[in-house]
Amino acid sequence: MDAAISAAASGPAPATDAPPYMSVQRVQKIYETAGGAVEAVSLADFSVTSGEFVAVLGPSGCGKSTLMMMIGGLETTSAGHIRVDGTEVTAPRGDFGYVFQDATLLPWKSVLDNVLFPIRLEHGRTRDHLDRARELLELVGLWDFRDKRPRQLSGGMRQRVAICRGLINDPKLLLMDEPFSALDAISRDDMNAALADLWDRYHKTAIFITHSIREAVYLADRVLVMSRRPSVISHDVRIPFPRPRRMEMQETAEFNEICGFLRRKIEEGYQRA
Amino acid sequence: MTAIDTGARKKPLLPTGVLAGTLRQILLPVAAALVVLVAWETAVRVLDVSPVLLPPPSMIVARLQELFFPLLLKHAIPTIWESVIAFAVSSVLGIALAGLLSSSKILREALYPNVVLFQLIPKIALAPLFIVWLGIGSQSRLAFSVFISFFPVVIATLAGLDNVDRDLLRLCRALRASEWQTFREVRLPHAIPYVFSGMKIATTFAIIGVIVGEFITSQAGLGYLILFASAQAETALILAAILVLCAFGLVFYGLVAIAETVTRNRFGA
Repeated sequence: MDAAISAAASGPAPATDAPPYMSVQRVQKIYETAGGAVEAVSLADFSVTSGEFVAVLGPSGCGKSTLMMMIGGLETTSAGHIRVDGTEVTAPRGDFGYVFQDATLLPWKSVLDNVLFPIRLEHGRTRDHLDRARELLELVGLWDFRDKRPRQLSGGMRQRVAICRGLINDPKLLLMDEPFSALDAISRDDMNAALADLWDRYHKTAIFITHSIREAVYLADRVLVMSRRPSVISHDVRIPFPRPRRMEMQETAEFNEICGFLRRKIEEGYQRA
Repeated sequence: MTAIDTGARKKPLLPTGVLAGTLRQILLPVAAALVVLVAWETAVRVLDVSPVLLPPPSMIVARLQELFFPLLLKHAIPTIWESVIAFAVSSVLGIALAGLLSSSKILREALYPNVVLFQLIPKIALAPLFIVWLGIGSQSRLAFSVFISFFPVVIATLAGLDNVDRDLLRLCRALRASEWQTFREVRLPHAIPYVFSGMKIATTFAIIGVIVGEFITSQAGLGYLILFASAQAETALILAAILVLCAFGLVFYGLVAIAETVTRNRFGA
């Protein structure tokens, strides 16, 4: 089974003449610290096609968050190039949407105003985006909470608001850095289902950082396994399940086989280190 | 006796529940103050202490009633005015300076250590200098009062502007907010509770500044009246004036606290 999966999975994305939507080319990140140079990302090299949902899976400290920050233009690269939609990423961009590990909502703004915050910063008229905000909040079941303040919501609700905020300006690329890692297991399942629903509807290109194998397999079209020391992408696994995806899918033998395969690959990474 | 019995017995003595809790928070300190006042009154009468040394509370209240409109109010007005003006000026100056310091790294590195150093100076000692510089009018008292009351506003505001969650600042960066937008949308609202905590301290400091100024030179004001009464050995009048001052201080503080509640409800911080 392992062999079958890796055969289907490894290797670059299907060869086409068109350049990929996003390409990460031999990217490296080295931090200069007092104790010497620290390699946060040793080598990352992959590409993503438009509309693909890619999960980056790895243990903590493997550099996956740093990788996302570089893709998002929030961190500089030490070497290599990142291109999205034909241009090199050098700074945060308007066609990106960001969701971080903590919801990072403004505590003094209502749920609705938090969702509209990116529009407000772009000097856009928030009125024009009200319909979209409503659509997003309704999709995640929070429209009735639009006037509440973040502290009145649960952790899962706050993170749903943050996802709506990430989608409000209709980004082409959604970057999510372990958005559900602070949630308990049950809210996490809910959030995965909510995100899968959003996906079926909007079909954005997405980079999703996680250390949960099941989450990665459930959500993604493709899982990149990242190892620690050296911090490289060790496996590139295609997830064959059709969409829309259902929670029950997680109980199938195939789902669990893929999870097991990924777990072994992550463990191999540990043993090497 | 069971545990439930004990609980039921305690109930009338120390009421529980939210409303009772609030009531207790008000009643207990008031009761404690009353006990002290009664002890004071009794001790002064029983020990036959001279009213010049320590008048009984009843005498202070009598003085207050007798002289409030003819004398105390007249002297309270300039003190109140000058305190309020000094407070307003130091709040605006303090917030502005803090904004400036938080926005420029060079300015901050150059000035912040000096601000902290100034904070440590016993500023009251400088009061006579203000008379030398600005004369004996109200401007010297105002300047001195601003001088001592604006430091807490600067320091508290700066703390609020700087203490912003790094994740929120990263969000601002991701959303390509300008420095000014980050300041207006994130740093400033976040700093509101800090600003008000500085302003609450500033109310007290502004009053102290004006009173000290009046001690040094003035023809009116509660500070002047206190000094005048002490020369006349009118201890009850001194304490009555202090009572008026306390009442003003409380109202002043209360108004700032109300302003805080209103602002925080508006911005929800």
